[in-house]
This record gives sequence, structure tokens and C-alpha cells, in this order.
Amino acid sequence: MRVAVIAGSISGGIRIAKEIENLTGLDVFVVVCNVGKRSPLLRWSRELLLALKSFEWGTFTARVYSYSRKRKLIVLPRPLDDATSIERLRSLQCDIGLHAANVIYHDPTISAFRLGILNAHIGILPKYRGRCVAEWSVLQGDPTGVTVFFIDSGIDTGARIVLREFIPSNAWNSVRPLKNMLFGCDARLYRKALEVLMQPGVRFEGNDVSKGRRYYVMSKMFIRIVDEILRDRANLVR
Amino acid sequence: MDLETALSKSAQLHLCDGILRGALLRRRAELRKSWRRFISSECLESLGSLAKGIESFLSGQDAFRDWQFAATVTWMNCDATFLDCVRTIALAGMVEYQPSDTPPPRLLPLDLSKLSSNERFEALYARYRCPLNMGVASESDVAEELLRQLMVQDRAKLEAGAEFGVDLILLKLNLIGIRALITRDLRFLDAVNYFYELPQRSLRRMHANPRFLSFWLCIYAQLLSTPDWQKCGLR
Repeated sequence: MRVAVIAGSISGGIRIAKEIENLTGLDVFVVVCNVGKRSPLLRWSRELLLALKSFEWGTFTARVYSYSRKRKLIVLPRPLDDATSIERLRSLQCDIGLHAANVIYHDPTISAFRLGILNAHIGILPKYRGRCVAEWSVLQGDPTGVTVFFIDSGIDTGARIVLREFIPSNAWNSVRPLKNMLFGCDARLYRKALEVLMQPGVRFEGNDVSKGRRYYVMSKMFIRIVDEILRDRANLVR
Repeated sequence: MDLETALSKSAQLHLCDGILRGALLRRRAELRKSWRRFISSECLESLGSLAKGIESFLSGQDAFRDWQFAATVTWMNCDATFLDCVRTIALAGMVEYQPSDTPPPRLLPLDLSKLSSNERFEALYARYRCPLNMGVASESDVAEELLRQLMVQDRAKLEAGAEFGVDLILLKLNLIGIRALITRDLRFLDAVNYFYELPQRSLRRMHANPRFLSFWLCIYAQLLSTPDWQKCGLR
């Protein structure tokens, strides 16, 4: 199976590639796209900064070198939706893309992958679509977690859910670390999802959008409320 | 109480309910003091005879009317104009309406999004002449579309300091505020919270329509005084 990590930075892509590259039967590419149409200077300064902040410098540079040498590290000079970028993606003949860039995907990009693009969404689908879903789940007394599903061009409306994992938020005393923790589960859950997808006769769970709602960015007032709820709960657990 | 009980769904909802209620009342107290930041003296003057009612409503004690009945009605017709109806709702008055079993043809969100800004304003203004219809079950698709527009495109425009249609945004804010009063859907309340929290420089242009602006703030004041959000809005 050929898989491409679609990342907003080299370090972000390598982080996920590192987690999945030793799965048997998997050929991994890292595709780095230019999010927000940054100038080359800004883009490469950011890459350097992120690389310095990332895991062990030695391991990182070795991996970057290894992927580059095998021509498996592809840096797209133009935005992801540009025709040349889509053509480049198609030429990789990948089965699956893994979302790790802050971009919205349109149909031509999605269809460049045989099975589609997986997203590790930090909310439980189908109930929680859109933004700030971890916060909304806490506010409404629902469990938090991550859903890995194949995206479509809508907002978290892709019909095929590969897996859902409930991840308790009780130990976290504010929104920011909770979300960082949930976002940080992406590599592990992509690995788990790929393991599922490599099984014969895989069956997907449906994502019935009528059973959920779309959520939006949360006000400061509600974020403070969620912080307070988390703090109270964390104190209870302690 | 053992840990399992403390972390049960009902206990969690009880905890959230208490924290939410406290936060809403604190915001209401803040609005009571700060509403003049939104409605300048010139704006207030331009409201004429309405000014006194708005001033006393925003500065006064918590007042709200329970509009949840509207969610159970098929459609309502009003003799009064849109502006009169919104004013009545904003000031927690009684809206005179005649129930109807024949709602107008469905308005599809896609059709709404195809309209120009002016056409959209006209379409919403005419359809929701009785604004309580924004809360009836058949209008949920339109309400979702208005919420999406406000929280995606409109929000982005205001935050970027770009040009925006004051009348249309305020009309939408009034309508989604009314939807929140009726359905107790926290997402609609939070959209109002979000716009209230925008920096003053983003909201300054809204002074161009002091009526809609003051009605919106009065509706917000009612939302903040509305009890039982958790019980009604989330299940």
C-alpha cells in the first residue's frame, strides 16, 4: 500500500512517517505543501525553526536525508490545489493520503488518491463536526476523542469512518493542553487506521451527518467555561 | 460521592449547568454596565422614542420571555412589520400572531447563498416578517446556513477589517439570537457571544444601523438571562 503524508512542514510529515514507516507492506511518502502561500524565505525559516523544535535533531536529519535520497520527500512549490501539485500527487499513485496540513481539500486533490485522504478529527463523529469540537464535547458533557475517517469536500462529512477512539479529558485542566494531546494522537491513530485498512474485507462505519451538528469557533466566554469545567474535573480526579 | 458518580454524564451536565449559568449572569452584569460602548449617545438619540425603552431594558434587571412555544408551531403570521416584531421580541413584549398550517415554500440554503447581499437581506426580511418563524422546525436548514455564514465568512470579514454589509449581518445576528431564544441551542448563543466579543473597531461600522444594533443587544441580554440551557438545548 502506498501512503503519502500531506504535511504543512517537513518536521510534521516526518513525525507521522516515523510512526507508520515500519508497518509491513507500506510505502511511505512525505508531501510538504505550501500552506498559506508563504514566501520561500518565510517558508524555509519556518521549516528550520520547526525542525529545531522537533524530536532528536540527529534522527530527524537522518530521516530527511533518507526520504530525500529515495525521492520520497516531495516539497510542493505551489499550493496543494494547484494543477501542477495535483499532477505531482497523481504521479505518486498513492492509495491513501494522511492529512497533516492546515488546508481544505477539494475533490481533485482527494481523487488523486485511490482510496482517499484520511483525517484524524479531534472529535467524535458523527455527533461533533467542525471546529472546537473537543471544547464543545466537554461543555455538553460528552466524551472526547478522535475519529479517523476518509474526508470529502465537506466539513467532516466524509461517509467512511475507519475508527473512533474515546480519549478521556479528565486529567487535563485546560483546553489548550487537552487539544494538544488530542492533536498529538494523530500519528498513532493513523497507524492504527492503516492497520485496519490493510486487513482483508474492511468495513467502514457510516458517518450519518443527520446524527450530529456542525460546530464553529468558540467564544472566549465559552472557552473560559470549558476551562473551568476541566479544572473542576481534574481536581475531582486528583 | 465516588469518582464514578462524580464523572457520570448527569453529574457532568449538572457541573456544566452551574458554571454556564454563573458565566451568563456575569456577562449580563457586564453588559448592563458596558452597553454604551456599543450604542453611542448619537446612536441612542437617533432611536427617538425607542431610546428610553432600549436604555431601561439594557440597564435594568434581568428580563426575558420564554419563546420556546414557537418551536412547536408550524408557521406564524403577523400583521405588524418586521421591525415592530423584532422590537417587541427584543424588549420581551408579546408578539401578536396568527398560527398557520401552511408555511411558505421551503427556502433552500443553497438558493439563499446564491443571492446577492441585497437580495438576501430582502428575502430574509420578507420571509421572517414574523421573526419567531426563525425558530420553527422547518427553518432549521436556513438557521444553520445563517449560522454558518456568520461564523465563517462574516466573522472573517469583520476580523480582517474588510468591508461588510452592516444591515445584513445585523439582520442575521438578530435572527440567530431569536433562534437561540426559541431552541436553546448553545451554538446560536455562542455565535452571539462571539460577535459581542469582537474588538470595538470591528463593530464600529454597525452604528450605521442603530435599530438593528440595539435590538440585537436586547436579544443578547435576554439570552444571558435565559435559564435551563443545558436541559433544553443539548439533548
